[in-house]
Amino acid sequence: MTTADESIGERPAVTSRPGGPAAQSAAQFRLPVSVVAVLAAIGVLLAAAAYTSGRLGHATSSWPDRTYWLGQLLILTPVAAKLLSRHVLSAAETVTLVVALTVAEYLVKVCYSPAAYTYADELMHWRTATDIMQSGKLFTANDLLPISPDYPGLEEVTTGLTSVTGLSVFTSGLIVSGVAHLLFVCLLFVLFRRVSSSHRIAGVALFLYASESLFESFDSMFVYQTLAMSFFGLALLALCGAAAPQAAGSRTGWLTVAALAAFATVATHHVTSSMLVATLEVITLGALLTRNRRLAVLASMLALLSAAAFASWIAFVAPSTASYLRPVLDGTLQSFRALLTGGHSGAPPVLSAANGPLENQALAAAAVAIMSALVPVGWLQVWRRYGRDPWAVALAIGAVSWYVIVAIRLFGADGGELAGRASTFVFIPAAFIAALAVIRLTDNSLRRPIVRADVRRRAPVVVAAATTAALVLVLNGLVNGWPPFWERLPGPYQVAGAERSVGPEQIASADWALAVLGPGNRFATDEGDLPVLGSYGDQVTVGDDRVLYVSPTVMPAAAHLVQSQSIGYVLVDRQLSKMLPASGQYFPVDPDAGRYARPLPLADLTKFDRVPGVARIYDAGNIVVYDLQGSEYYGS
Amino acid sequence: MARSQADVVGTALVAGLACGAAAVGAPTAAMTVLGIALFIAPGYLLGQLLVGSRVAGLERAAVITGLALAVPALGGLLLYAAGVPLHRPGWLGLLAGLTLAGDLALFLRRRFGQVAPFTWQPSLHLPPWQVAAFAAAVLVAAGGVGLARTGVAIQPQSGFTQVWLSPQHQNERALSLGVGNDQGRTTSYRLVLLRNDRVSATWNLTLAAGRTWQRSVPLMNSAKVAARLYRLPDFTHPYRYVSIPAVTVAGP
Repeated sequence: MTTADESIGERPAVTSRPGGPAAQSAAQFRLPVSVVAVLAAIGVLLAAAAYTSGRLGHATSSWPDRTYWLGQLLILTPVAAKLLSRHVLSAAETVTLVVALTVAEYLVKVCYSPAAYTYADELMHWRTATDIMQSGKLFTANDLLPISPDYPGLEEVTTGLTSVTGLSVFTSGLIVSGVAHLLFVCLLFVLFRRVSSSHRIAGVALFLYASESLFESFDSMFVYQTLAMSFFGLALLALCGAAAPQAAGSRTGWLTVAALAAFATVATHHVTSSMLVATLEVITLGALLTRNRRLAVLASMLALLSAAAFASWIAFVAPSTASYLRPVLDGTLQSFRALLTGGHSGAPPVLSAANGPLENQALAAAAVAIMSALVPVGWLQVWRRYGRDPWAVALAIGAVSWYVIVAIRLFGADGGELAGRASTFVFIPAAFIAALAVIRLTDNSLRRPIVRADVRRRAPVVVAAATTAALVLVLNGLVNGWPPFWERLPGPYQVAGAERSVGPEQIASADWALAVLGPGNRFATDEGDLPVLGSYGDQVTVGDDRVLYVSPTVMPAAAHLVQSQSIGYVLVDRQLSKMLPASGQYFPVDPDAGRYARPLPLADLTKFDRVPGVARIYDAGNIVVYDLQGSEYYGS
Repeated sequence: MARSQADVVGTALVAGLACGAAAVGAPTAAMTVLGIALFIAPGYLLGQLLVGSRVAGLERAAVITGLALAVPALGGLLLYAAGVPLHRPGWLGLLAGLTLAGDLALFLRRRFGQVAPFTWQPSLHLPPWQVAAFAAAVLVAAGGVGLARTGVAIQPQSGFTQVWLSPQHQNERALSLGVGNDQGRTTSYRLVLLRNDRVSATWNLTLAAGRTWQRSVPLMNSAKVAARLYRLPDFTHPYRYVSIPAVTVAGP
């Protein structure tokens, strides 16, 4: 039984008086965690069944969609109910629940693409890993994501595992990204438990962290951030271990672990490296405010070391980092400027079609409102009960970022994208502070005199309310995360979609380009074919090429583009004339995004057959490849 | 030595077995088990050397796993800097070398009493029905992944046929002419090669699903080359069409 007096700040947070009413209540109804694990596994099975139905042509039917959500509820609801219930949970049970949730959601993600990578970012890193496998060298060029080879940590671990075991890059990648994601979650749990001295608070905080919109998708994908996050978490845990009062005998060892983790972060991902430095600075601030000299010194030293390592890496290994990150930084600054000047003229309206159906918007608004309301209550708990704990104070400071990303999301030009990508980091402090609030509120509601006389009857109502609120948060993460609502289930090919644009014909044409034309040719292509051609085909794809496709004749602007970009080949997917783009845009850079009322005219796509000097070198039915070299586009 | 150094012996054995298995070309299943064990071994030893037995449970497992992932991430850079190709021998050498070095360091530190001896005390005692429930969960989840993989295998796909006629990137004086059958079943074709709109050659092809047919065709000066592929029994309408405009071929 968790009593209100014990639940926050004191250790242990969850205690039980043998023979007391709570223990009796717990004995009367307890859903064992092993049963929760079985329910989560059934949830995975149902999600897989829904995906299979989608592949068999029922992606637009309502019942596979309902099956998917039923599966998700089977995964989420028992875990939420157990974590938020007032029954005694042991540390091992809490860990099991967190692990069951993380593994189940990861398996749902695996079931979406169980045979090969189909998500564009994963294909980019698959290309880098494949290049390392073939050449035995690091830092080989990747035209699809040029920054990827400069941060090869993920690909090193994956190709190392592939080389040693003989597994495919795909299978090794699934293992590495799955282990890294689970490791990060476990590290976060351990950190939260250390800070709060309560596995209950840590468990609830982890559940709230799972409401971050990328938790079930991007954060466990085969992308460099997934592995870097585990090193990020290890560095923080090692710092926590080194600064602990009882760590006198192992301080050097912990600091060595922290340094290794910081170096590994730097070699793996740029943004995570900079976030590590920023986080260590916030921890230093928290330590200074609470007058914890040892932590302040160690955190600032580690921050300095990480910053020096990151700066050296940029200077000597990855000088393109600055130019890669500049657009992101510019976007962030623009968002701030817009925030200060009352909104961005180009900002998408909050309820635009591009942002999803109205019910998705409503769920997002509810989730934002719940989190925004919880964080101040959590701050109050830090003020009252953790005011002398440097880590809790640092987390409280970090939770301010929650309101920053809410503002960016509402007012920034591309705010949704930016806020989504930042949420992986922002939710670390926000989830912890919100968890303090959740625990406080659920306990307080039972302490009111009017309720107190009937605690045992009212407890389920409070738990149900807390569980519902937590589920709203996590379901918002799923609904408004990845895959997008228009590709929730796998299914038949979609033009300019996401993973449903990766079909056998696209892969075959990319394989052909690599085999017959060789790697590194400059190609014009559309939104859906670009990641496949760049990864499987190892071709250089030109993103801003719309002008080539949208006229029935050779336009001077198109000829200028071909010459200025040295475009050698153009890949034409005739399905662009049959379907509207699922993502709203046919091309990577598309000023008409979201405004197409009808598919592109076929004549615009077949004009290359009539242009003097253009060679039609490949025909697979829907996909045709033209060789523009020596054609009218080049003035020949 | 005996039980207090059991982990040292175990990890050294893993390193030796993995290298031996790789040398004799052991099957992937054996290499998977040994390779994953070899991947974990340096992380375990580093964890023992750096934080020892002062941490336990989840925290210990997390530190070991984190270090196990950090070793190849940083070790790969060292291999690259040393000019060692990142292929199996290089990785095996790195991981086995680090494991044996860690074994030696841990052995010596234990001998001098600087690190606690190895102990194995499983702390989790579950009733059999709970173990059975967890096993059932694993099986059901694995069934879900299996179902998803089956879904990919049986997903209906519209078949297609590729035909290409392209300058070869290794030989500019020849064209690569090819046909690939991805119709999902054996298909018969007639391929007609034309030079300046005159039939130059004809092939009747029957390709099994997934098979390709390829020829090298000389590229001639100022001759337009085209290929028409007919999918039998339709001899009338070209099913696929490729063409190369007349070009001037550079001299040898």
